[in-house]
Amino acid sequence: MPKIIIDEIEIEAKEGETVLQAAERYGIYIPRYCYHPALSIAGNCRMCLVEIEKMPKLQTACSTLAQEGMKINTKSEKVKKARQDALEFLLLNHPLDCPICDQAGECYLQDYYMDYGLYKSRVKLEDKNRKEKRLDFGQYLILDRERCILCTRCVRFCEEITKTGELFVSNRGDHSFIDIKPGDKINNNYSLNIADICPVGAFTSKDFRFKQRAWFLKEKKSICLGCATGCKIKAHYNENKIYRIMPDPNIETNTWLCDYGRMLYKISDSRERLRYCVVDSNKMDIRSGLLKIFDRLNSQLTSDKDKILVFLSSNLSIEDNLALFYFARTVIETENIVIDDLKEQKIEDGILLNTDKTPNSKFIYQLKNKYKLKTISEIKKEDFNFIIGYDSEIKKYFPKNDGINFSFLESDTRASLFPIKTYFEQKGSFINYQGYLRETEKIIDNDFSIELWSAINKLANYFSKYMPFNQIDDFEKIISKEGYKNK
Amino acid sequence: MKIILEKEAFDIETYIKNGGYMALKKAIAMNPDNIIEEVKKSNLRGRGGAGFPTGLKWSFIPKNVKDKYLVCNSDESEPGTFKDREIINKNPHMLIEGMIIAGYAIGANQGYIYIRGEFIKEARILEKAIIEANKKNLLGDKILNSNFNFKIRLVRGAGAYICGEETALLESILGKRGHPRLKPPFPAIKGLYDKPTVINNVETLATIPYIVINGGEKYSKIGVGKSAGTKLFSVSGPVKKPGVYEIELGMPFKDFFENYLGNMKEGENLKAVIVGGSSVPVLTADEAMSVNLDYESLQKAGTMLGSGGMIIIPERQCMVEALYILARFYHHESCGQCAPCREGTGWIEKQLKKILAGNAKSKDIDDAYEIANNMMGKTICPLADALAMPVMSFITKFRNEFESHIEGKCKLCQR
Repeated sequence: MPKIIIDEIEIEAKEGETVLQAAERYGIYIPRYCYHPALSIAGNCRMCLVEIEKMPKLQTACSTLAQEGMKINTKSEKVKKARQDALEFLLLNHPLDCPICDQAGECYLQDYYMDYGLYKSRVKLEDKNRKEKRLDFGQYLILDRERCILCTRCVRFCEEITKTGELFVSNRGDHSFIDIKPGDKINNNYSLNIADICPVGAFTSKDFRFKQRAWFLKEKKSICLGCATGCKIKAHYNENKIYRIMPDPNIETNTWLCDYGRMLYKISDSRERLRYCVVDSNKMDIRSGLLKIFDRLNSQLTSDKDKILVFLSSNLSIEDNLALFYFARTVIETENIVIDDLKEQKIEDGILLNTDKTPNSKFIYQLKNKYKLKTISEIKKEDFNFIIGYDSEIKKYFPKNDGINFSFLESDTRASLFPIKTYFEQKGSFINYQGYLRETEKIIDNDFSIELWSAINKLANYFSKYMPFNQIDDFEKIISKEGYKNK
Repeated sequence: MKIILEKEAFDIETYIKNGGYMALKKAIAMNPDNIIEEVKKSNLRGRGGAGFPTGLKWSFIPKNVKDKYLVCNSDESEPGTFKDREIINKNPHMLIEGMIIAGYAIGANQGYIYIRGEFIKEARILEKAIIEANKKNLLGDKILNSNFNFKIRLVRGAGAYICGEETALLESILGKRGHPRLKPPFPAIKGLYDKPTVINNVETLATIPYIVINGGEKYSKIGVGKSAGTKLFSVSGPVKKPGVYEIELGMPFKDFFENYLGNMKEGENLKAVIVGGSSVPVLTADEAMSVNLDYESLQKAGTMLGSGGMIIIPERQCMVEALYILARFYHHESCGQCAPCREGTGWIEKQLKKILAGNAKSKDIDDAYEIANNMMGKTICPLADALAMPVMSFITKFRNEFESHIEGKCKLCQR
């Protein structure tokens, strides 16, 4: 473990760690453009230059390994001057179109200019090199070559992470630009990460462009429910509307986020969203729907109780599944509880995307093992016609059924449909393929949908039965008591 | 005293008749470590420009690694430099012999010659020389019935100046963009195909046979002090006898200028000298007349021996124009990898263009100087320094000419 001294603070660096990484662990931030912790070192922006004793030239902190006895100065006048100079070179041919640039507010050129720049431009606008703007680079990406500082993070991302290698640098010197083969597009499933890692406004997201200024956005951490990987995410929202989903990099699961997962936020105000309750083909509000379905269920209970099946779903949170489970046990008093067939869980593309496209299978399997639940293939489907559960699974196995279907989206199921809140609109716990128990956060809200567990709770109350939960926080105790703990 | 250009031998027969490949025979009987020891003793320094001790460079190569490479840098593209071309033209086998010995010393079985793309004739000469050496079992498997195998591959560049930088050269051999690598790791640890690699200049390698035959000590006595041996200077400009000269290091420039170059042409006066290729600081006539041509004296005079590409600048040449031409070259050749060089070279060119056209203010001269200063020592490879040094020295030493452009009174150029 080499001991180094940075700005007169003694630091113990890890073996093979660079000066920049060691400093960062101890809270000393060294500015950078080309350095990215998950990519190889390029050392081309020259922003991280630091002074190291006994070395005549300034060294790049991103590429210099911490070695025993190094004395490093990151705040000397010489270093500050070097950063100002590097910034002046980077901004030399920059169009300074911040007022119409989407990156404004979260742009490292702006940030570092305020920290280190603050000089008057010595180049007239008409003397600057012009390059192409607004280039379509794929399903989700726009490139502005004038704003690009050629840090090559995007090139390295495509080479090292997705291994698709769409991007490269064309031409030479100050005519160089990021390029793609003629006719090619970046259509890999991780393309939006390029917009994230671009430290300036060169690559911007088509989905987010011009929708909201960065400084209006608020942030909440949550998890992605696109597949069993359960990536940690940050949702950026304002005034009850989500504008984009970004990865929340962590060691356990994800540094990146796939495009498929990023776009799932669109479900909350999509056109197909179920905004009303349907019982017997009649649209109505949720309260009347619940009362009506109570009557139906009541008569089913007295007439043919054995036809009732409760279908748990790995698309739903632990809370919602537990609500269905307790409802089956205490209200309906049935053992007819099934789950979908088991799914294989593994990363299918070598990066993040899981073969299992549902977020909560791990929990469902724990529940199955604990209570010896059956899977859908182990029962006779003809024996049941009153199904309670999540719409998309019911639709798959019981296209024609009575019962209580809960759904996020409009559906052609003929039975009753209840609009439930997505997990952007409520808290929910999930166990990912690695066994981590993680929670979504309530980011936005609406008044046309209801939490599934709350609907179940109300129904139980109509039967004068009481569930062990009244609010979302009650589940915490149940989850820990039942032993569905974090890995 | 001449070593490299002493006896010209275009083909292998003449070369062998003149005592060629004797050094190889001697070397193969020696322990490789002893060869490195001899080269260290000789004080031979890299002739490509940086002047790094060759023996020391060889000794950095780890012994226990299986695959190692030797690369000959023949991408001679510094403006004003054309000495390696002369060696290849006149004595290709001296280079080949030097390479085989160097390969033996460091334990490499594969050598590469990276030759500048524009050197078409020279590439053919080398190709022929390699074939000749192969036929005589001087290259290939079991050289001269020893257990040493060595092959040479000729790689032609595609015209980029930056590929003369050793790590960009390695990238270019691999078929990638010629972008210099971050150092460390140095090529001695992680070079071609990520294996230990020695990269030497043509002139350096061509000197090796002499050192092996005569011993390092004898070579170290040629020249002065730490600047041992002879050096090739390629001289261009309006002197009576421009061309390539091999002289002992330490010779006063005055002697070289008067006795070898035969003074300036009739009607020309000496204004300035660029001693070691376009990228080193310029010397005024007075400064030049008082320096000796060796590494130490030139460093003391604030310039460098560099590659030995000597450019003689006459009194009638406008220095702003000369610098503008240099800046245009470095701007065009900047690889664009790191920011100070990518943006700085273009910026300096624009500034000089403005000054040259008479549209500038006195502050623009200061700006050009400061831009150069800001580029110095901040980049991955020395290309930025290669422009910064001439800019700073031109502006310091010939400021009056820059000022007269601003006042619109330059008598030297017709602009």
